[in-house]
Amino acid sequence: MSCKLCSSPTVSFLSDSGRTSIRQSFRYQVPFVISPLCTSSRLSWSGKVPKPPKRRSLGILAMAQGNGEREKWLMWLPRGPVAERVFRLIAGAMSSPVGQYVSSPVTFLHVVDSRVKLAWLLALVVLPSRSHIVMRFGLVAFLAVMSVWVLPKDVWTDQLGRVTLLSGILFLMLGFGSDSAPPLVQLRTPPPSLMGLPELPLSGYSYSILKLGPLQLTRKGLSVASTSACLSFTIFQSASLCLTTTTPEQLAYALQWFMIPLKFVGVPVAEIILTLLLSLRFISIVFDEVRNAAMAIVSRRIKWEQLTVMETLDIFIMYVRRIFANIFKHAEQITQAMIVRGFRGDSNIHKIYFFSNTSFGIADMISLLGLLGLIGASIVSEQILV
Amino acid sequence: MIKANFVGSCCHPSPRSRVICAGGDCNIKYAIQGQNLSYSVTVKKLIGVQKMVFPILKDCSLHVPVGQLWMLLGPNGCGKSTLLKILAGLLNPTSGNVIVRKPRSFVFQNPDHQVVMPTVEADVSFGLGKLNLTADEVRARVEKALKTVGMSEYLQRPVQTLSGGQKQRVAIAGALAESCKVLLLDELTTFLDETDQMGVVEAIRNCLGGPDQVSALWVTHRLEELKYADGAIYMEDGRVIMDGDVSNVAHLISRKQADYLAS
Repeated sequence: MSCKLCSSPTVSFLSDSGRTSIRQSFRYQVPFVISPLCTSSRLSWSGKVPKPPKRRSLGILAMAQGNGEREKWLMWLPRGPVAERVFRLIAGAMSSPVGQYVSSPVTFLHVVDSRVKLAWLLALVVLPSRSHIVMRFGLVAFLAVMSVWVLPKDVWTDQLGRVTLLSGILFLMLGFGSDSAPPLVQLRTPPPSLMGLPELPLSGYSYSILKLGPLQLTRKGLSVASTSACLSFTIFQSASLCLTTTTPEQLAYALQWFMIPLKFVGVPVAEIILTLLLSLRFISIVFDEVRNAAMAIVSRRIKWEQLTVMETLDIFIMYVRRIFANIFKHAEQITQAMIVRGFRGDSNIHKIYFFSNTSFGIADMISLLGLLGLIGASIVSEQILV
Repeated sequence: MIKANFVGSCCHPSPRSRVICAGGDCNIKYAIQGQNLSYSVTVKKLIGVQKMVFPILKDCSLHVPVGQLWMLLGPNGCGKSTLLKILAGLLNPTSGNVIVRKPRSFVFQNPDHQVVMPTVEADVSFGLGKLNLTADEVRARVEKALKTVGMSEYLQRPVQTLSGGQKQRVAIAGALAESCKVLLLDELTTFLDETDQMGVVEAIRNCLGGPDQVSALWVTHRLEELKYADGAIYMEDGRVIMDGDVSNVAHLISRKQADYLAS
């Protein structure tokens, strides 16, 4: 592009290849382009000197087929008020991580031994996939009732809401989408007549359960959907219940108790447990850092609408860099604190004390009996119910 | 007397530099003694072999008697925290000798740097892991330490749910649980409001003296905290300018403030 007055080359940084180009552009609208090398007398003749640009900004122009049109993806980049909203959202978020220990009110689950709770967790992960559909939904209902009974209202409404939404989406997607999978990946069992088996009496049997326009819910879809949704629900909700009623030390103690046999095959159990405890402590520090750094940016009152995409991205990169720098500094300081407090790097020598109640009480017995009953019911349901 | 040479992060490891920790059975007059302490860092240039040496501490000497609380004051960057880290054994002095009663504990300025475990009782008991104690002894020590700082009802509380002052008190309890004889405190009240500040000051005063003759050296910027001290040390530009009576040090600081305002 050349100057309109003297035909000198103008300042323009425009890449000549690719779909995306970066160019340095003036913010205000100039009716025509004037070269900085321009010596034309017409400028002084008119008596009007063009106002010098106040600032230059680096912007991204995504071009489709080189015609200068902006790509749609640019609309999705957090710019202007969107970027501010993102930082405000982070700054206003809770400092505590999800699923932290709730010390009061003390409930039945608070009293139960952490080892029994871990056994329950394992059972709740395995059972939904290996039991009848009635049992699966029964487990979901049981966990929901337990959550409502044990947790404070604010906590259970939040937890159950999110987990139910996730499981519901899973159920719908898998229920209506299972039979749309290509036949190649489906089971290709030949019909009984080909295998020389007698035909089963199928009075009232229908493979398709529900039709909803082009979508259909089949028996297979129901089975897959109920297994996945119930499994997701039980995993997330049982873990939340366990975390909110058990201190990190009690959990670490239970894990250590179960891992003791692994010591004999050379697994560094003490080191794993110390790492777990430090990680649990560090999670809250990371949350705090993320929130504080966002708050620091929000408090600067940046005029986001005046920034280009590159400048906004620059702030996001600075934000991430600051978080990492602060977290590494925290890690260094905590290392120093551990040294000062007598830790010399050997987890086997530096003992970690657990104050959890290790005596087996009535609550633990009842809980264990309940677990055995649940496992029994699950096995029986698989045998009896069709 | 136990002698220990610490190989720290000092840039000038010198045969003259050593930190000597006095055992509990040694009958010494001072809990902390520092003689002609110097500390410097070396910055290597990327190009060339020339090294630049930055002195941080210059010939510092200090004496803190047993059973007393002394305050260490001075402007930012004068070397207070470095001196404290040398006394804690985290840094090795370039030259000079340090004698500190043992066991000693260091409490950081930011409690988030000090508290390493997720709940209060676990953190307070963390420092006891190096001692060969029974679970009952540990429990008794933890409860006693938390009672001293007024946090006995927070045993199972997650650390992230505590306020800054409460975290600071947990950090102090962790130091007290080790039955230390010397407390090294780095700007404890920086992040605290007046109420929490008073709580921390009282917690420290409560644990001083006693049968163990606990002593403390407290780095601070707050002149109003001087009234709780038995003695004070004033530093400037890496040197100890004055130490001894609190009123003399307070007078010196007031005079410096007046000179600054007049200039």
